[in-house]
Amino acid sequence: MRYLFWVMVIVSTFILQRILSVSGVVPNFTLLLVYYAGLREGSSTGILFGSLIGSIEDSLSGTFLGPYLLSKGMVGYLSSFMSGSFFRWTPLSGAIGVASFTILDSLIVLASRSFFDRIPVSTLSALLIIFIQTLFNTPLGIFITPKNKD
Amino acid sequence: MSRKSILLFLFVILVIGLMTYQSKSKHLLPFQFLNNPITKLHDGLSSLKDSLKTPFKRMLLREKENIRLKTEIDKLMIERQNFKEVLLENKRLKELLLLKDKTPNYITIARVIARGPDQWSNTFVLDKGSSAGIKKDMVAITAKGLVGKISEVSNSYSNLLLITDINFFAAVRVQEGRQEGIISGTGLRRCQLKYIPYDEDVKKGDILITSGLDNLFTKGIPVGYVSKVDKTGSGLFQNIEVVPFADNRKIEEVIIISR
Repeated sequence: MRYLFWVMVIVSTFILQRILSVSGVVPNFTLLLVYYAGLREGSSTGILFGSLIGSIEDSLSGTFLGPYLLSKGMVGYLSSFMSGSFFRWTPLSGAIGVASFTILDSLIVLASRSFFDRIPVSTLSALLIIFIQTLFNTPLGIFITPKNKD
Repeated sequence: MSRKSILLFLFVILVIGLMTYQSKSKHLLPFQFLNNPITKLHDGLSSLKDSLKTPFKRMLLREKENIRLKTEIDKLMIERQNFKEVLLENKRLKELLLLKDKTPNYITIARVIARGPDQWSNTFVLDKGSSAGIKKDMVAITAKGLVGKISEVSNSYSNLLLITDINFFAAVRVQEGRQEGIISGTGLRRCQLKYIPYDEDVKKGDILITSGLDNLFTKGIPVGYVSKVDKTGSGLFQNIEVVPFADNRKIEEVIIISR
């Protein structure tokens, strides 16, 4: 039942991303799922869940397997540190964390694609995409809390 | 090195290796089969969204159309009004032209451009002055009758003292009974026929015309009709109230004639 719920959440997120595109820029809500998994379940689950989401995104993007896999895996892994002894989670740090991970995710995808395939967009477009995705995600970082918040 | 770091290191190496492999050979897309169902779901949701949005869109379009049509109606109403105005002006000017042909002392046709600036006098400002041949004491008439006389003239404008002004006087005659009198304004819409003795029989509805005896107004110009006769006063003459034929509130153009 729990897995079915998560499958539905993942599918809904992918659909929501397509629906809510702003000026042709698709938001990066899947990052929030990976961030959530890493933050609440730790680095191993984060990296695994991130890899799964990344693989799906790579497959749906129709290019090649890797850029999203790497970026989401990294985000899943690194987000676990947001609730550990290294960082003390606060709503502000949550928002900043999500913003940073959104930028990191986009940069990794952009770099991987540019390196292993070809440069997907111009620098200006890339900056616009990253900016809009960060705008979408940052406020939601306040609401994604770690398990041990209290 | 901790287990977590090793995991990350291995992960990064593996993914980079995978990408390197794909850059030289076939691309691997393990979850490509999800593309179809997700697209179908997305399409389904889009159609649902469209079916929900369409009635509101239609309402909005109707509202816009409504506003556009209302604006159009307003525009047409203004055009219609202008057209009506032109027709009425045409009618008035035709009447004036007919009168011009019949009037021997015709000088010009002038347009009333304003009421006189003095609120205590009944005057009009005309758009023509001495350059159009207008002189002081010339007479202004319409197809209906006497309007007044020119009181002041400048080069391009002139002032017309209306029949209803308290300073206006003209020698008149009752058309039916031929009694002579003087008509003067009262400052209001009505005029007063003066100097008609008590024994003269003037009836309500009698028409007054200029007599020409004052040497100011040409003989025979229609002035107005008697609206009230009062013989109960203590003076020597009757109090007779006259309504001018030319209603000051409706005059827009006048013909100027000389004596």
